Amino acid sequence: MAMKYLDKYPKNLAKSLWVLKPCWAVLKLFAKTVTHRSMTILYPYEKEWIPDNYRGRPGLRFDKCVGCGMCVRMCPTACIKLIEVPDDEGKPVMRPQVNLGRCAMCGYCAEYCPLDAMTVTPEYELAEYTRYDLLYGPRRLNYEGTTPGMEVKLEVTLPSDIENGNPERRVSLFDLDRPELTDSKCIGCKKCAKVCPVDAIEMVEKGVNDKGKPILRPVIDNSKCICCSNCVLDCPKDALQIKEVL
Amino acid sequence: MVQEYSSILNWIDFFADPMANPYYPFDVYNLPFDIGYKLWEILGGAIAWLINLIFPGNPVSTWLMCDATCTLMALLIFMLLVFIVVFVSTLIVLWMERKCLGRMMDRRGTMVGMKGFLQCVADGLKTFMKENTAPKKVDKMTYWWCVALIVGLSVLVLCMVPLSQRWFVVDYQTGLLIIMAFFALAPFLILVSGWAQNNKYSLIGGMRAAELMISYEVPMLILIATTALLAGSFNIGDIVNAQNDTIWYIIPQIIGAITFFFCATAEAERVPFDIAEAEAELVEGWQTEYAGMKWGLIMLADYMRGSVSCSMFVILYLAGWTLPFIGNGPIPEIVFLLKSYLVFFFMILVRCALARVRTDQILNIGWKVFMPLSVINLAIVLLLKVGGVF
Repeated sequence: MAMKYLDKYPKNLAKSLWVLKPCWAVLKLFAKTVTHRSMTILYPYEKEWIPDNYRGRPGLRFDKCVGCGMCVRMCPTACIKLIEVPDDEGKPVMRPQVNLGRCAMCGYCAEYCPLDAMTVTPEYELAEYTRYDLLYGPRRLNYEGTTPGMEVKLEVTLPSDIENGNPERRVSLFDLDRPELTDSKCIGCKKCAKVCPVDAIEMVEKGVNDKGKPILRPVIDNSKCICCSNCVLDCPKDALQIKEVL
Repeated sequence: MVQEYSSILNWIDFFADPMANPYYPFDVYNLPFDIGYKLWEILGGAIAWLINLIFPGNPVSTWLMCDATCTLMALLIFMLLVFIVVFVSTLIVLWMERKCLGRMMDRRGTMVGMKGFLQCVADGLKTFMKENTAPKKVDKMTYWWCVALIVGLSVLVLCMVPLSQRWFVVDYQTGLLIIMAFFALAPFLILVSGWAQNNKYSLIGGMRAAELMISYEVPMLILIATTALLAGSFNIGDIVNAQNDTIWYIIPQIIGAITFFFCATAEAERVPFDIAEAEAELVEGWQTEYAGMKWGLIMLADYMRGSVSCSMFVILYLAGWTLPFIGNGPIPEIVFLLKSYLVFFFMILVRCALARVRTDQILNIGWKVFMPLSVINLAIVLLLKVGGVF
């Protein structure tokens, strides 16, 4: 009978001192949280610390943008549209307009922007009263205090690299990717030269055809080209392709 | 008729000595009664003076300021004062639990006014505004009486704990036993109310409360008897003075102190021994059917029982209101309360760190761990007593 009573008795009573372990852990945490700030923050009054490349709403540096439309093509939610706005001198130019009601804050536009005109910003409080107010025009997209970290680079450029004074692209893909002409398909329609946003394409006479008219062929200025692939997309005969550098 | 003008100072005696009153209800000096007496001197004196202004020479004014009436009114104010102090200290305990628990969980705790203290007031108001509903098929009499008795008994027990030699309600020779007896009554009422609510969760909760009481009351009473043996008295004042004269009893009775701490946690039905309410499995257990202010009062009573447990620990092991080398300080009541808050802090710590114990584990711990430990503690104390150390 006595043995039956002892069956369920704790074998080693000292082992039940394990309860001290969580108590000690809690006490340590208590000491830490009393002296430091606790994990939760009082949101409207306190803001969370935001990293340099936090992907909030997109921002635009109006003067840097050339209106190539790369962001429009890359946007996964199709919230970016190119609209015509007057620039500082009053000339009409094409600039992106973002519908933040659809924006997923993915930051692809900033990543793919060849000129780093499109950036991410740390702004995330975007509530408005109407949906129409959520349309951010090119001027409204401007964000003061853009830092190098906000120009999210497509290639591997880490925030730590920027901190160390090395903001250069590790692999300069865009310096190497260039449109390439298939000469036999080209009809010399000059469309590529018209759509090029940075005027990198110049139509050059390459001899005379059978009827005595000049043969025009595009010549691409590699120093100017930003590889936005507008010419490739607009070529009526598919004579231009992007030559990928692997 | 020419009336004599009697100054208000003729009616008020600011330096009235309650001890000189022939109806003085205590044997020794009592601070809250003294405060109540002087308050009545001012209040009743002003009323009596006003009445005398209007009806000069009337008997009511003199009756208001006679010895017997003064004692009666002073006793009323005395009761109110004792209750208010106890109530506020319970609210502080409540606030402390919320705040410390928040910090231990890396949160902020309550934030409503005065560092979160006003949350208690807000909660009280909120529960007060709620509709006072009662289910249809409950046993009406037990349902209503149990909650009243649980709350009343908890308040009574807490008021009976003396805060110092001059702050007490009744100076019992067997104060410790009476407090423990009232303290142990509540689980019985919980069992009855669990049955009265006609709800299986409540019934299970009540059963568990009874089981908890049976298994934890025994080691607790052994421990109290041990301390009484060491001090040679059941009087709380004597126990505290004995500790002040020799040494805090937590040092010779360290095993007993730890055991008593956990037993008191179980008696107050706090996590990790709160199987009677067991939020997660029993949906607040025996409190399930109590709505509105009833629930609020039960919650308050829970914390009152918690602070009674802490006070008992302080009296038994931490020398009550005395400090080493100082003895009775200038404000012994504050010392006592601070010590009990310290003990309560450890209760919060245990609550935060440990998970709820299973029912069979609770019985195992109660009967097979705490019970032998308390007997071992008793043996140690007997050896010390026989060996002539104390």
